Amino acid sequence: MSDMSAPSIPNLLTLRGSRGGSAARGRIRGRGGTRSSGATPASTPSHDATIQGTDTDAAVSRMSAVDLGYLADAYARWFVQAPAMGAAVRRLPIINRGTYTRTIAIDRLISIFLSATEGQERQIISLGAGTDTRAFRLFSEESKAKLIYHEVDFPIVTARKYHLAHTWRDEELPGGSQYWCHGLDLRSLPKPDIAPLPGLRTDIPTLVLSECCLCYLEVAEASEVIKYFTDRITRLSLVAYEPVHPNDAFGKQMVSNLAARRIRMPTLEEYPDTSKQEARLRDAGFDSVHSLTIERIWEDWVSPEEKERLDNLEGLDEVEEWSLLADHYSISCGWRGIGLDAWRAHQN
Amino acid sequence: MFIFPQICGDIHGQFHDLMELFRVGGNPPDTNYLFMGDFVDRGFYSLESFLLLLCLKVRYPDRMTLIRGNHESRQITTVYGFYDECLRKYGSANVWRYCCDVFDYLALGAIVLGASNTLEPTNEAAPREDVEIEVCNADGDAISHFGRRGKTGGNGQGSPNGRTDQTGPPGSGASGSSGGTAGNPVGAVLCVHGGLSPLIDTVDKIRLLDRKQEVPHEGAMCDLLWSDPDEIDGWGLSPRGAGFLFGADIVKMFNHRNDLSLIARAHQLVMEGFKEMFDASIVTVWSAPNYCYRCGNVAAVLELSEDPGGQGFFARSNGDVGRSDGGVSRGVLLDSDGSSKRGPARRYRVFQAAPQDSRGMPAKKPVADYFL
Repeated sequence: MSDMSAPSIPNLLTLRGSRGGSAARGRIRGRGGTRSSGATPASTPSHDATIQGTDTDAAVSRMSAVDLGYLADAYARWFVQAPAMGAAVRRLPIINRGTYTRTIAIDRLISIFLSATEGQERQIISLGAGTDTRAFRLFSEESKAKLIYHEVDFPIVTARKYHLAHTWRDEELPGGSQYWCHGLDLRSLPKPDIAPLPGLRTDIPTLVLSECCLCYLEVAEASEVIKYFTDRITRLSLVAYEPVHPNDAFGKQMVSNLAARRIRMPTLEEYPDTSKQEARLRDAGFDSVHSLTIERIWEDWVSPEEKERLDNLEGLDEVEEWSLLADHYSISCGWRGIGLDAWRAHQN
Repeated sequence: MFIFPQICGDIHGQFHDLMELFRVGGNPPDTNYLFMGDFVDRGFYSLESFLLLLCLKVRYPDRMTLIRGNHESRQITTVYGFYDECLRKYGSANVWRYCCDVFDYLALGAIVLGASNTLEPTNEAAPREDVEIEVCNADGDAISHFGRRGKTGGNGQGSPNGRTDQTGPPGSGASGSSGGTAGNPVGAVLCVHGGLSPLIDTVDKIRLLDRKQEVPHEGAMCDLLWSDPDEIDGWGLSPRGAGFLFGADIVKMFNHRNDLSLIARAHQLVMEGFKEMFDASIVTVWSAPNYCYRCGNVAAVLELSEDPGGQGFFARSNGDVGRSDGGVSRGVLLDSDGSSKRGPARRYRVFQAAPQDSRGMPAKKPVADYFL
């Protein structure tokens, strides 16, 4: 089932010297190296492997949403195994709608960030990027100049992606852009004996993106990762997509179902709703914060015409279930030193 | 003795929970059942659930009533799982095709006549004349009462073993705001999967529909299976893309015109298992606990009591033409004899999902989808 069972995973250490590190600007860069971290309750190998497996889940959901016409993404197919026979996995309509909503919401936030920093060098750091195709999608638009895009994930995840990225594009990225693929355990990033991320710029507007990533870390570890960036970068913004509302009937069932899959989300208990998420980001040092549930985003950000288009793709009968499900995910933003007040604006 | 049916909402292929429902409501054929559709899709045992209900219907035609839900449709079952399940279990779509042919013969609605305005006692010693709504847990112990003029009994009353912790709170709509029936005080109850249609102003018009077909995308038949009540005036567009939303005024007018005291319907997930709306003129009953193994909700069945005067009978709109039509046109469309001038007393039996270890069938561990 896992994508990660590629027949040959390149030796990570060979990626380190020639192609990573100090390669010329505007090329795809990688960085290998397995960094060990101290054993913490959440870092047992099985939990890490389970969390890496969630990425396969997301890739299959993305493929389903693309196949049905919710999203356009030429790269989604790269990260799912071709179906043995017959049709590809088709997710239920509410899952497709949720995949759609989280994707377009983050796309919109990124697009506002890129507009606000137009003409300057700017940087996006995607934590636990997994098989996310966003970087490829962004770089396929020539307008995304001077964008430095970092992805951080476990080495076993980034190795294959790095390989694919090279296959994809060995020529120049849009003017002055860079793509970095860092293979390391995120939890080791803030450790004092670990060298800073190569290629990380601290002097340009930066967006840190956590799409269901920090929620798998222990609360203190997640805070340390955020602090790593807030300590170094002045003009900083953060977008975090995480579950919320663990304490109502649906939320309790969600926690218990995920536990049955051996998935634990420590931050979910700590930041159980959007106001706690906002407080978390304020405490982390962001001047401006904004947090919305996916349900609100669906209602407020998706235009009636677009809703009609989506409804025509698949009938969505499970209206009540959609409200429940979408009410249990949130997107939280914090920013400072960058004019991102448009992140608050509704769009309809 | 002819026993009133337990009125049930969506099942959605949750076979083990259907077994739990029979345990809570009483085993067929000793207990009559009226299922308001959506037997299939979403759960992993749609086929087993539907075939069991169908067998019971064949064996005990007067004791089982099955009406059609919007998921009893070729188109919907290809999206929501029943088609895939049949293909997986049989390697061909034939079983699905035959089931869909049966779906076309299911009734669109049913009418329950002659319900009493007092409840027969369950585990309690004596019936309570003043009780309009009673909520029971899975063991039949009453956990709350609501009288004709609001709440008369506290939680835990009449609960011999004191086990009141097995169910969730009573339906928010029912308990908080119903405050007794203000509608037409006659005992007929219309059961339908979704709700009303702007094209249907009398129950008789439902009978005129040619129902032996795939559920259409629009029109009266579609509306009956797809519509939802909502806090609006008149009619509104449905977010489901089929059927309509309808407000309290529509329900009250329809009930008045057709001498109904209550519309029982299913179709919408309600976390408490049931929800009464519009001064208890319409109730949603939901019978799939922990829906999709994900929603964390409890389920309920609605029990009405037979009028002790013996006037009560149960007419099936899909039954023998003579009996059904005769009964209903006398009972519903003409003035009643006045013996039952109040809304029916209602008992909701609330239950939770069957425990995992009670599942006798080799159960694949259900994996619910989340965004990860």
